[in-house]
Amino acid sequence: MPIPDFVKRINDYVWEIPVSYKDGMRVPARIIASKKLVEEMDMQVYDQVTNVATLPGLQKYAYCMPDGHSGYGFPIGGVAAMDAETGVISPGGVGFDINCGMRLVTTNLNYDDIKPRMKELLDMLFKKVPAGVGSTGFVKLTPQKFREVVQIGAKWAIENGYGWKEDLERTEEEGCSKFADQTKVSDKAIARGLDQIGTLGSGNHYLEVQVAKPENVFDKEIAKAYGITQPNQVVIMFHCGSRGFGHQVATDYLNTFLKVMEPKYGIKILDRELACAPFKSPEGQDYFAAMNCGLNMSFANRQVILHRIREVFESVFKKSAEDLEMRQVYDVAHNTAKLEKYEIDGKMKELIVHRKGATRAFGPGNPEVPKIYRKYGQPVILGGSMETGSYLLAGTKGAEELTFGSTAHGSGRTMSRTQAKREFRGEVLQKQMEARGILVKTMSYPGLAEEAGGAYKDVHAVVEACENAGISKRVVSLVPVLNVKG
Amino acid sequence: MTKIPISIITGYLGSGKTTLLKNILKDADKKIAVVMNEFGEIAVDSKIIKGKNIEIAELSGGCVCCSISGEFGLAIKELIRKVRPELIILETTGVADPENLVDDIQTTLSDLVFLDAAITVVDADGFLKFPSIGHTGRVQIEMADIILLNKMDLVSESQADEIELKVKQINPKAYFFRTRNCEIDFHTIFGFNVGNKQTKGHKQHITESWFSYESKFRMVRSKFETFLKALPKEIFRAKGFVLLDEKSYLLQYVAGRYELEPFKTDLNQIVFIGNGADNVKDKILRVLEHCH
Repeated sequence: MPIPDFVKRINDYVWEIPVSYKDGMRVPARIIASKKLVEEMDMQVYDQVTNVATLPGLQKYAYCMPDGHSGYGFPIGGVAAMDAETGVISPGGVGFDINCGMRLVTTNLNYDDIKPRMKELLDMLFKKVPAGVGSTGFVKLTPQKFREVVQIGAKWAIENGYGWKEDLERTEEEGCSKFADQTKVSDKAIARGLDQIGTLGSGNHYLEVQVAKPENVFDKEIAKAYGITQPNQVVIMFHCGSRGFGHQVATDYLNTFLKVMEPKYGIKILDRELACAPFKSPEGQDYFAAMNCGLNMSFANRQVILHRIREVFESVFKKSAEDLEMRQVYDVAHNTAKLEKYEIDGKMKELIVHRKGATRAFGPGNPEVPKIYRKYGQPVILGGSMETGSYLLAGTKGAEELTFGSTAHGSGRTMSRTQAKREFRGEVLQKQMEARGILVKTMSYPGLAEEAGGAYKDVHAVVEACENAGISKRVVSLVPVLNVKG
Repeated sequence: MTKIPISIITGYLGSGKTTLLKNILKDADKKIAVVMNEFGEIAVDSKIIKGKNIEIAELSGGCVCCSISGEFGLAIKELIRKVRPELIILETTGVADPENLVDDIQTTLSDLVFLDAAITVVDADGFLKFPSIGHTGRVQIEMADIILLNKMDLVSESQADEIELKVKQINPKAYFFRTRNCEIDFHTIFGFNVGNKQTKGHKQHITESWFSYESKFRMVRSKFETFLKALPKEIFRAKGFVLLDEKSYLLQYVAGRYELEPFKTDLNQIVFIGNGADNVKDKILRVLEHCH
């Protein structure tokens, strides 16, 4: 679609929709993308990002990242920072799959080491890391125990032997948000999440074994610091979230917010999917506390999955995970709202930064970045489609200045799931991928078709836009060889 | 074994989906299986039987309420094997992407079930409060065969006209019912037993009328399908049996979408239902005579 007249070009990678576009906009909306990527966005993205711009307390701009497409309320790829004192918090700005995120793990194996064991590795990963809509995990917990999990996150997993202590240091917020309060979570949410620890789920969730080819390393020094040290090194990347638990937390509080938003707080919004409450209100604080439990559930989930992956590699390669140097690079959250401080009009302000399908991308020197990486910036794990590969990027000062420390999270859909299923057939896709050296195993062929590379934007173009806009820096691109599709 | 109809109910949180389900179950004289994300308000105090992919709770009157614990397709197969319902109703949560379910029904499950109707409950009052139609709301409207414009007690008729106009811009083919508290006759919405309108629990004034067609002539399939595709908007359902070319079929038509399933019969017998069906009766019967 040609770019409409109301979208103004600020520079090659920043596009703006002014406040005059729509009644009620408090700030302009900004899309970070190349001309071509903006052209690929649909009218709903413009509509949604400008609806977000009407929310109380929003600072500077309502943002959409280069991989943006329309979603529930906010576009996926939406970033919005509200003044914590006067602004609102909105579940639509976090998403239903709270802390859907990525984890990347290195090994000291190279592609030749795993080539003879590919099938065995795939089958075992598929077996040990349950996937699919209603998949349940091997960890059996009582509701009371599960409440403990959502309270302390990945820390619970480490305390129970599912992982290494250093994994925590290499996880956003050390895998345990201090703002979580399990008393703010409904029993229904607990019941839905109870048996889902250690499971991938469905949709765009996956587990991939990937290879870092030497020609795909963009910055050798940072790659080395992140643990990519040898040619054709094998790494494992996976994407999943808080499953039914996060979904129920979001549903519960959307209901609450719809009831109090206008009658109690006099907030009028354009789209009910943007239901919100003042961040400092009791309802806003309760959601924040429950949403952080979703964050913790997800960190714990990915921690247990990492443990299972290590077990699989140990069993297939007959070596300990330590000997295989299966070290976690990092774990990043996609769907969150976080309290962070930024300078606004010369003053430091505490903001509640909504990132919905967007990744935190803090630059070098930021105290939130683990010490081992602080010199280089935070690792950003960007998942591409299962056919085109993924990226490891580094956060930048530019992101902190331009987009409240945020960058893209994936390649972004160009096609609805239904449309993708009409265009592609899962069985055919599986064979085509196999011919190109990517073995894939799935619970559902229609589900596989939904994730065809052709249903997504060009991941390389998305990453290039991020780098040229200055909101992250390319470190290495990773090519998939095995894929367990959720 | 004929395919089992499967209907989907979607709508935002608080639009009235649960109320609609309760109304349907109260009036039902068919064995209905309601599949929902969690048992919630429908199956309070019922005994729950855990299966491999589905949990089933028996309700009074022979209906069941189920919650899926495994993969969707496997769960539906298990449900059919165990309960053999006459109608399956899927209640999606206020937020799920129901497009996916439709696709599963039409592909992986197409031997066992057919998509009867996608029913979307639109909260008329909410529609006025929030002028921008959200992403999920749009998807729900796009996929609907039948739209219940609910909470009519909270809006005026002219406001309802405006809403209908807006909704029709997204989905011009869906059939509208205006309701309060989702009060709608079970038989009307699902097209059951239309010849016998003495149904229980009749609260709402039904403006839908019906007529039937019967003959023994074989029709030409291509002509008949052209006729179906051109049915006037007054008709929202048509069902019955037809003799086409050398074969015979069971016909299910809902708001522009239809299915012909092989079925043994020696008679054309079709019932047409809709608001103002009487007014188009003569025209329809005339066209049908030309399908021979």
